[in-house]
Amino acid sequence: MKALNFNKNTLRLVASLWALAAVSSPLIATEDFLSEEELYENDVVEIVRVNDPFESINRVTFKFNDFLYRNLVEPIADGYTAVTPDPVEAGATNFFYNLRYPVRLVGNLLQGRLQGAWVETGRFAINTTVGVVGIFTPADSVEGFEPIPSEDVRQVLGAWGIGEGPYLVLPLLGPSNLRELGGYLGDRAVNPFSQPFTVLDEWEWRTGYSASSFVVGSPTLIGRYQQMKGSAIDPYSALKNAYIQYRRAAVEK
Amino acid sequence: MKYFSAIFLLFLTLAGQSALGTEQPVDRLNATVDAALNVLYADSCGHLTAEQKQAKVRSVLEERYDLSILIRRSMGRNWKLLKVEEQGRVSDLIKQLIVKAYVEGLNGKARPVVSYGEVIQVSEKRLEVPSTIVLGDKTFNLLYRLGRLKSGWQIYDIVAEDISVVSNYRQQFDDHFRKANGAQLIEKLEQLLNQEGLNEGIKL
Repeated sequence: MKALNFNKNTLRLVASLWALAAVSSPLIATEDFLSEEELYENDVVEIVRVNDPFESINRVTFKFNDFLYRNLVEPIADGYTAVTPDPVEAGATNFFYNLRYPVRLVGNLLQGRLQGAWVETGRFAINTTVGVVGIFTPADSVEGFEPIPSEDVRQVLGAWGIGEGPYLVLPLLGPSNLRELGGYLGDRAVNPFSQPFTVLDEWEWRTGYSASSFVVGSPTLIGRYQQMKGSAIDPYSALKNAYIQYRRAAVEK
Repeated sequence: MKYFSAIFLLFLTLAGQSALGTEQPVDRLNATVDAALNVLYADSCGHLTAEQKQAKVRSVLEERYDLSILIRRSMGRNWKLLKVEEQGRVSDLIKQLIVKAYVEGLNGKARPVVSYGEVIQVSEKRLEVPSTIVLGDKTFNLLYRLGRLKSGWQIYDIVAEDISVVSNYRQQFDDHFRKANGAQLIEKLEQLLNQEGLNEGIKL
């Protein structure tokens, strides 16, 4: 192989090009990089902050709930998952989700999402009939009736531009805010299986529905709670911020 | 001919340098996540203790990404409330915490399947990489926010299921520093690290 043998002019040219590249690249690059100020002072993306004027009361309720979750909900969730085979657990979750169809329908309609209302209605019809009262979800594989993000009255109030109000921790129910509390009551009002406008006349049926629904939902609830609490420096603050971020994202979707 | 050879040589060198500096962000992310998962799941790492795995995962992450960026952004203005020696200690403890949570979170679980969506170019200096993680029968959405720094594309936030990790920790640090100081934060972090079963159900 013949070795490359450059003369002085060639070397000068190469040196000049190197010098040009070396001088020009930092000048161009500085403007293309995020500065420390942008990263640490100005926040390149919005940092979510929560209005929490009742923090001292909320923290007490949080401790109360934490006690209940660890000593009541967690054993229930553990017991339920231990005795229930996975397919049965999935079927029970699907069943209760299907029963809450009126909430999702109203959530879509009040936001003018007719397509969403149509899909939810179709899914309810298919899953209730072919899916044996909603235990299975055959609608997942029917074109045009695949799962869509769940809507409810809480999201409706957000979509209507109603302010969040102060952050609240409710006994048993956990994180919320004034708007979410109103939405929660709205969700209950349109759900035919919960008070105040329930189709279940007998208290035994109402209690049975509420208790079963709670037990079936407990593994998910406790799982999410542990996830947030696990590596948190301040579990109260972590849960507060996570809840508000999650709900704001649900309203925006 | 010699001119052409010289220019070609120079071009190759510059192109090579440029390629190194602008490694595709998704490839880099994918390689890092894959390497970190290998520490937990590859047979060659099976003999490592939990502590050794944590150390190895940390070195894999730090080889490619500057975790201090995430930490300083999480701290926000509170960073300046710390003494210089506290800054170093807090940074180190949080890095340990991140890695411990990751290793313990996946302990005993099947290897997650990670896939990446199309890169969202937010601006010249910022982009977002959506990813999906399938862990058992559950699917999680994770969004990496990357910024172009002199050291390359660096992660400045991670959004897990619509929850920004930086915002979440910023809230915790803000609430902490309203009533307490750096020394107390270090104490809390040390307690958290010594706690067993830090986060058995953590999301990636």
